[in-house]
Amino acid sequence: MTEEDKQGNKDLQPQTLDKSASEDLDAAGKSLSEALRISFIVLKVIMIVLVVAFLASGFKSVEPDENALVLRFGKIRGVGEERLLGPGLHWIFPYPIDEIVRIPVAKKVDLTVRSFWYYQSQERMLAEPSIEKTRFLPELDPINDGYCITRSEKQDETISGSGGSDYNIVHSKWQLTYKIDDPERFFKNVYVEDVNPGDIYFDVITESITPLLQSLFEDVIVTAIVNYTIDDVMYEQVARLTDDVKRLLQEKFDTIESGIKVVRIQLTDRTWPLQVNAAFEALVTASQDRQTAISQAQTYAESTLNETAGPVAEKLFLALNDDTISEEEMELLWSQLAGKAQEKITEARAYRTKVVASARANAEYFQELLPEYRKHPELVVQKIYQDAIERIFDNAVEKFVIQPTEGTKETEFRIMLNRDPSLKSKTGKEQTTKE
Amino acid sequence: MKNIAITVFIASIVIIMVLYLVAFQVRETESALVTRFGKPVREITEPKLYFKWPAPIERVHRFDSRMQVFEADLGETTAKDAVPIIVNTYVVWRIDEPLKFLNAVGTVKDAEVKLYGQITDTQNRVIGQHSFGEFVNSDPGEIKFNQIETEMLTDLKQTLSDEYGIEVKTLGIKQLKVSKDVTVKVFERMKAARNLRTEATISEGQGQATKIKGDANLKSSVLLTAAQARAEVIRGRGDAEAAKHYKKLEENPEFAMFLRDIESLEKILEERSTIVIPADSEPFKLLKEVPLLEPKK
Repeated sequence: MTEEDKQGNKDLQPQTLDKSASEDLDAAGKSLSEALRISFIVLKVIMIVLVVAFLASGFKSVEPDENALVLRFGKIRGVGEERLLGPGLHWIFPYPIDEIVRIPVAKKVDLTVRSFWYYQSQERMLAEPSIEKTRFLPELDPINDGYCITRSEKQDETISGSGGSDYNIVHSKWQLTYKIDDPERFFKNVYVEDVNPGDIYFDVITESITPLLQSLFEDVIVTAIVNYTIDDVMYEQVARLTDDVKRLLQEKFDTIESGIKVVRIQLTDRTWPLQVNAAFEALVTASQDRQTAISQAQTYAESTLNETAGPVAEKLFLALNDDTISEEEMELLWSQLAGKAQEKITEARAYRTKVVASARANAEYFQELLPEYRKHPELVVQKIYQDAIERIFDNAVEKFVIQPTEGTKETEFRIMLNRDPSLKSKTGKEQTTKE
Repeated sequence: MKNIAITVFIASIVIIMVLYLVAFQVRETESALVTRFGKPVREITEPKLYFKWPAPIERVHRFDSRMQVFEADLGETTAKDAVPIIVNTYVVWRIDEPLKFLNAVGTVKDAEVKLYGQITDTQNRVIGQHSFGEFVNSDPGEIKFNQIETEMLTDLKQTLSDEYGIEVKTLGIKQLKVSKDVTVKVFERMKAARNLRTEATISEGQGQATKIKGDANLKSSVLLTAAQARAEVIRGRGDAEAAKHYKKLEENPEFAMFLRDIESLEKILEERSTIVIPADSEPFKLLKEVPLLEPKK
């Protein structure tokens, strides 16, 4: 086409020469020539405009979140990294030589899979979870209700005696986030519907690939989840499961050369079947109860031991049963003793101190008095005796002096003792019977 | 000269028109079949520019060579151990050999009909060779789900490639279900299993709690006993030391006993005692009468 354009320009000069030579021609010829000239100019302008428009149609822009491929006569143009056009304005040969294919590479798309969830009517979806959970049929319908089959715990086998082919049912909701990672592979291998005028290109892509992605995703979930138990899915192994699904799904995407990358897998929701809700919740409660009982027992154990022997209790207990422990270590542990056990020891120490002290005091007192006693035994005895009696009477709260009756007749004698209830008497009673 | 320009212009238009008639592109996403008077002559899978005789001598039939997904509906089949299983299998496929495809199938719609039949066939055959326990098993080592899918793929791949020119990229089971009645039984089992575990959990909790408490009590009493023993030793030492002092009293046992008695008496009556004493005892006699003092000789 550019060649043709040049030729058009060359024609300009001969045309002006013709003009001067044709002056002698008649008026008819002149007007004909004039008409031809004008139409020729018009044609030329149209041609130039067309050529320019044609060439300008080769300018293509690539949006920031896109990469583009150029097809020359249907085949991807270029080698290696040149094959991909980044964001910006590019010029390619116009149609039908080159064709641009834009692929959105930066956009991350979420795909939600609800096909493993039980059937919910519109109104039930909107209802409160508590109400929603109360109304259900005794079975699951394979056509409307979705679920996955999980393996059962080994320990549960004995109940059914099914020889291992025992299983549980679990509902789950998943979300896949993906993006197009390899535009070339994606373009070559993945079916995308033609974009009709008025359609948004990106939506067409998403819509076209959703059935494929969803099928692969569901397949991976079904195959992965049979290796897990319902408790794994509900509690402990969620992270491992999603990792598994992510890995397997990426493998699938790679096997079919889709050029799609799994960005993230999320297990957005999961539940045991509503039909068994009561039994499952009972176990949850029981587990909590067990935990409470155990932690209460532990608290009890701790406080008991602490009361008994203080913080060192555990260590000391172990040491008591450990023959290898040395005397010094043992003593060190004993020295850290607290609580009731320590009280016993303290009491014993106090006793020892007291007993020794009083023995010493008695002995000293005795040795001091002894020489005097040897000189005047009666006086010393009398003195000590009288002093003691004085002190005793001095200490006594109440004193009664009674005239003894003569004769054989028994006298009954009553005294109301301990009028103060806070007083306790050990000796008073004995003395009432004395007479 | 004007004529030359016009000639060139017209010529180029003619060339382009001719090119449109005889040239055609095959894109990366396509394969094509060229038929001459309806008879296939060329099969094209390599994308580029090609030439042909203009229509109606040669015609180009294009086929989308990209992957498509087809899923059969939920279908019930039976495992080796006569357990009914409901599965939904999908196939990712593409037209690989246009000629074979055109002859044996025709359009994508037709292909889906064929696929449906083939999938059902393969599904029944392969699943029929495996027991349900190979799909799901309490022993993960026994699960052969992936292997089953691979077997299905191998089975289907061969047939579809040989007969229809279709390449199966992958396939899989996207739903694995059981019948309504079976779900009721499964729920019974699940409940039974849960209830057992609930009971076990409760009794285990109680057991553990009791054990923890018992252990603590045991430890506590062991510790107290040990402390008691230690205390006894200390007391014993005290008594022994005290005994050393009491030895000194042996110089005059009667006097010592007297002192000891007095001390005891004082201690016993030390507090809160009430004393009732006859008026004729010493020194209360003085309350009654003047004492008769006899001067000593």
